[in-house]
Amino acid sequence: MLTTAELNLLGRLDLAYGRPQSGLYAGERRSPRAARSPEFSDFRPYVSGDDFRQIDWSAFARFEKLMLRLYVAEEEACLNVVLDCSGSMGLGEPPKWTAARRLAAGLSFMGLSAMDRVQVGGLGGRHLPPVRGRDGVSRVWRFLESLEVGGEAGPQDLIQLRWLRPGLTVVISDCLADQGSWGPGLASLRARRQEPVLWQVLAPDEEEPPISGDLKLVDVESGRARELTITPRLLGEYRRALAEHRETLARAARGAAGRFLHSNSAEDLETTMLAGLRAGAIRRG
Amino acid sequence: MNFLVPVAALALVSLPAIVLLYFLKVRRPEVRVATLMFWRPHVADRQANAPWQRLRPGLLLLLQLLAALLLALGLMRPGLIGAAGIASTTVVMIDASPSMEATDVKPSRFLAAVDRARSIAGQMKPGQEMAVILLGEHAQLLSPPTGDSQSLHAALDRARPGGTAGDFAEGVSLANSILAGKPGGSVQLISDGHSKPPSSPPRIAGEFTYLPVGASGENAGIETLSRSPSGSVFMRLANYGRGARELKVEMFADGHLVDVLPTRLEGNSTADLNWARLPAKTQLLEARLTPGDALAIDDSAWLVIAEPPKHSVLLVTSENGFLQRALALRTGLDVTTAKPGQEKAGRYDLYIYDGYLPPGKLAGPALLINPPSGGGPVPVGNQLDPGGVLPGNVRDPLLRDVSLKDVHVQSASALKEPPPGWRTVIGAAADPLLLVHDDEPKGAVMTFDLHHSDLPLRAAFPILTQNLLSYLLPGGFENQVFNPGQAVALAAEPDARVLEVTRPDGGKSRLTPPFPPFRDTLLTGVYTVRQELPGGSRLSHFVVQLQDPLMARIAPGAAPAIQQAPKPAGLLPRGTIEIWPWLVGIALALLAAEWVVYLRGR
Repeated sequence: MLTTAELNLLGRLDLAYGRPQSGLYAGERRSPRAARSPEFSDFRPYVSGDDFRQIDWSAFARFEKLMLRLYVAEEEACLNVVLDCSGSMGLGEPPKWTAARRLAAGLSFMGLSAMDRVQVGGLGGRHLPPVRGRDGVSRVWRFLESLEVGGEAGPQDLIQLRWLRPGLTVVISDCLADQGSWGPGLASLRARRQEPVLWQVLAPDEEEPPISGDLKLVDVESGRARELTITPRLLGEYRRALAEHRETLARAARGAAGRFLHSNSAEDLETTMLAGLRAGAIRRG
Repeated sequence: MNFLVPVAALALVSLPAIVLLYFLKVRRPEVRVATLMFWRPHVADRQANAPWQRLRPGLLLLLQLLAALLLALGLMRPGLIGAAGIASTTVVMIDASPSMEATDVKPSRFLAAVDRARSIAGQMKPGQEMAVILLGEHAQLLSPPTGDSQSLHAALDRARPGGTAGDFAEGVSLANSILAGKPGGSVQLISDGHSKPPSSPPRIAGEFTYLPVGASGENAGIETLSRSPSGSVFMRLANYGRGARELKVEMFADGHLVDVLPTRLEGNSTADLNWARLPAKTQLLEARLTPGDALAIDDSAWLVIAEPPKHSVLLVTSENGFLQRALALRTGLDVTTAKPGQEKAGRYDLYIYDGYLPPGKLAGPALLINPPSGGGPVPVGNQLDPGGVLPGNVRDPLLRDVSLKDVHVQSASALKEPPPGWRTVIGAAADPLLLVHDDEPKGAVMTFDLHHSDLPLRAAFPILTQNLLSYLLPGGFENQVFNPGQAVALAAEPDARVLEVTRPDGGKSRLTPPFPPFRDTLLTGVYTVRQELPGGSRLSHFVVQLQDPLMARIAPGAAPAIQQAPKPAGLLPRGTIEIWPWLVGIALALLAAEWVVYLRGR
C-alpha cells in the first residue's frame, strides 16, 4: 500500500497530539498522570502515606523539608482513523478512494510506530479492533484493502460511532455529503474526549470541474439528478461555493477544538503530509 | 390601420414555431458527481435536440416572440391613415439642353444632374414618391410617381441629353398634371439655366426648388461654316467666355488634315475667317477647333462639298421674279420654266404651278401657288381679305427660321376647311394660306398670289421656299444641316427600296418604305445615307451639329421665373403613413436585448 521510501518519510514524522494522552499501558505519549520515568516533572511536599523512596534527600538537606520528586508519566495514546466509504469517495481522477486509503495507511503507520493504540474503521461501516505496535501495520493495511466504497454516509454517522476511544480521531472524507452539518458530529467527538482532525480529500476534477455545456449531473450517492447548462459563470460560482464550504468545515473543526485540512488526490504522500504539517496535525519526529 | 402586403401575414407562423422549439428539450449527457450542493439550478435556452419538455416561460422566449411579431407586422407594411406626415410627391425635372453636356462639372453637367436626381431618390422616406421629367425638345416623363427607388434608378439610366433647349414650360405643365390632387408636392429643377424660357412665368402647383449645375462659362465654338459660290470657305468663330483665347482651326478635307489656321479671340467676341485653300474634289470638309474646352459639341463643324444629285423642276408661271430668284438660291435644281398651257410633257421631280392648274391629275409632287378656283386637289373659292397671318403650328419644321411677324396678305382664295389629308401650315384669321399634303404624292398649296402679299419682300420667303423644296423634293435632306436630336425626313426617290443611314460613330440603321423620319441624330457629325435603287445605290450626306449659339453660351444661368401656386387651404389631405421602419427598429432592439440577456445568463 505504501512504498519503502514513503515509509522512511513517515518514519521521520509523528502525529501531533494537542494534549497529554492517558492510556491503559505505558507508551511514548506524555500522560496527564505522574509516574516513575526518566523525565523530571516537579516537586511536592511529602504527605503521610507517600512512598518515602521518592523523597529527594538533597532537597531536604537544602530546605530541611521533606519533598517528593515527581516524574512525567508516558503512556500510550489512541489514534482513531475514520475513513469515509460512501459512494462519492469512488469518484475522481485520480480516484479519491485510493488517496484516502493511502492516507489512512500512512497515519496508522505513524501511530503504530509511536506505540499508539490504533483503531481504523469506516464511517458508518465496520471497524478494526485496536492494534498496537508495528506488528499491527499489516493487519491495518489488510483491513483497509478490504474496505469498499458504496452507499451513503454523512457527518451524522460520526455521532453513531461507538468504537472510538479518547484520543486523536482523524476523519478522512471528501466532506461532500449533501445533507447534515459536520459541526454536531465533530462536537460529539469533542464530547467524547477526542481531538478531531477533519481531513478532506478531493480529486482535481472536483476542485476544477472540466465540464461545460448542457449536462445532467447525477449525485452518485442519492441518485438525484439536476439538468444544468454549465457556463464559465456557473463554474465560477461552483469554485466560490466550494471555498465557502471549506471555510464552514474549518469553523466547525475549530469549534470542536480540532483542525481541518484538505489535500488533493493527485498529490503524492509527501505533499499530503506537508499539508498536515502546515495544519499542525503532524509534526516532525 | 391597413396593411399594404397582407400576404406577409404568413410570417406570423414564426410565432408558434418559436414556441414549438421551446417544447423541445436538450438531450443532456449524464455526469456522475459527488454532490449537487455547489451547483446552482441554471438552465439556459440553447439548441434543443429531443422531444419534449414542459414549456418554461422565460424572458428570452418573451423577447423572441415580441421580435418575431414585430418583424412579421413590419413585413405586412402596416400604414396609418392620417394627416400628419402625408405622402409627398416630388417631381424632379432634369434639363437635357445641349449646354448640359459641358464638362466643367465632372463628368458632365448632365451626368451630375442625373446623380443629383439619384441622390434625391435615395433620400425618399417611406410613403414618399418621386417622378422624373426630362426637359428636351419636348418634356418626357421618364418615370411616373413611384416610391420604388429601383425603378427610379432604372428610369434615370435611360436619360440622355438632347440637341435642343429643354422646354421648361412643357415640363411645368407635365409636373402640374402629376401634382394635380396631391397637395404637399414639390418640383425640383436641375438645370444650368439654359432651358427654353417660357413666354410667361408658369404657375407651379407645388414648392419649386432650383438646383443649379455648372461652374464655368468659358467656351469657344464654330458658329458658322459655309462655302461661297466662288469656292472659298467662310467661318465664324465665337468666344463666349470672358478670357481671351489663342485658338487653332484644323481643316480636314475628306478626313485628312490640310491646313491649320491660328487665331486669337478676345472674351465675348467673334472672328470671321475666309479660307480659300480647299483642295479640289473634296467631298467632306471638317473644321475642328483646338484646344478643346468644356463643351465639345460646338468645337467642330462640317460641310458637305459634294454636289447633290440634280433635281428637275417644272415651273409654270406667267412671270414671277420672286419665285424664280428663290429657286435659284438652291443648288442642284434643274428648273424648266414654261408659260401656262405651254409646258412640255415629261417627268419632273417637282411641279410648280403659279396661278395656273393643269387639266387632269397632277403627275407628282406639286407646289400650287394661287390656284384658280373650283379645281385641283384643294378647291378654293373667291378672293377675299384673309386677315392677320398666323402660323398653324409654331413647331412645324416647314416654318423653321421663318418669321411671319411682318407678313401681310392682301387677298387670298377662300377655303373654309382643309380637305382630308391636308394640314394648315400658315393660316389667317378666316382661312388657311398654306396647306401641305403629307402622304404621297406630296403637295403644297399657297392660296394667295405672291404679288398680293409682302411675303416675297421678307427674309422669311427664301427660307420658306427652301423648306418647301426640302419637303417636296426627293432627297431634300441632302447636304442640309440639322440640330442634334432633330428628326430628319429622309425623302427618298420614289423607287428606293431601302435606306441605310451610317452615323458618325459608324453605326448603321436600315429603313424600309414608307421611310419614317430618322430620329437617331444625337451625335454631331456627318451622316451618310445610301439609297438602294433598281439601277444601283446612291450616296448622299447630311450634317448634324449645334446651330444654336445660345446653347454654346454655357455660363450657368439664373432660375427661371415662375409663379408659385397658393398653398391649399383647409385640412391637409390624408395619406398612408407606413410604420414598418419603426417596427423593424424596435424588433432589432428587442433582438439586441435578447442577445444581452442570453450572454448574461452564460
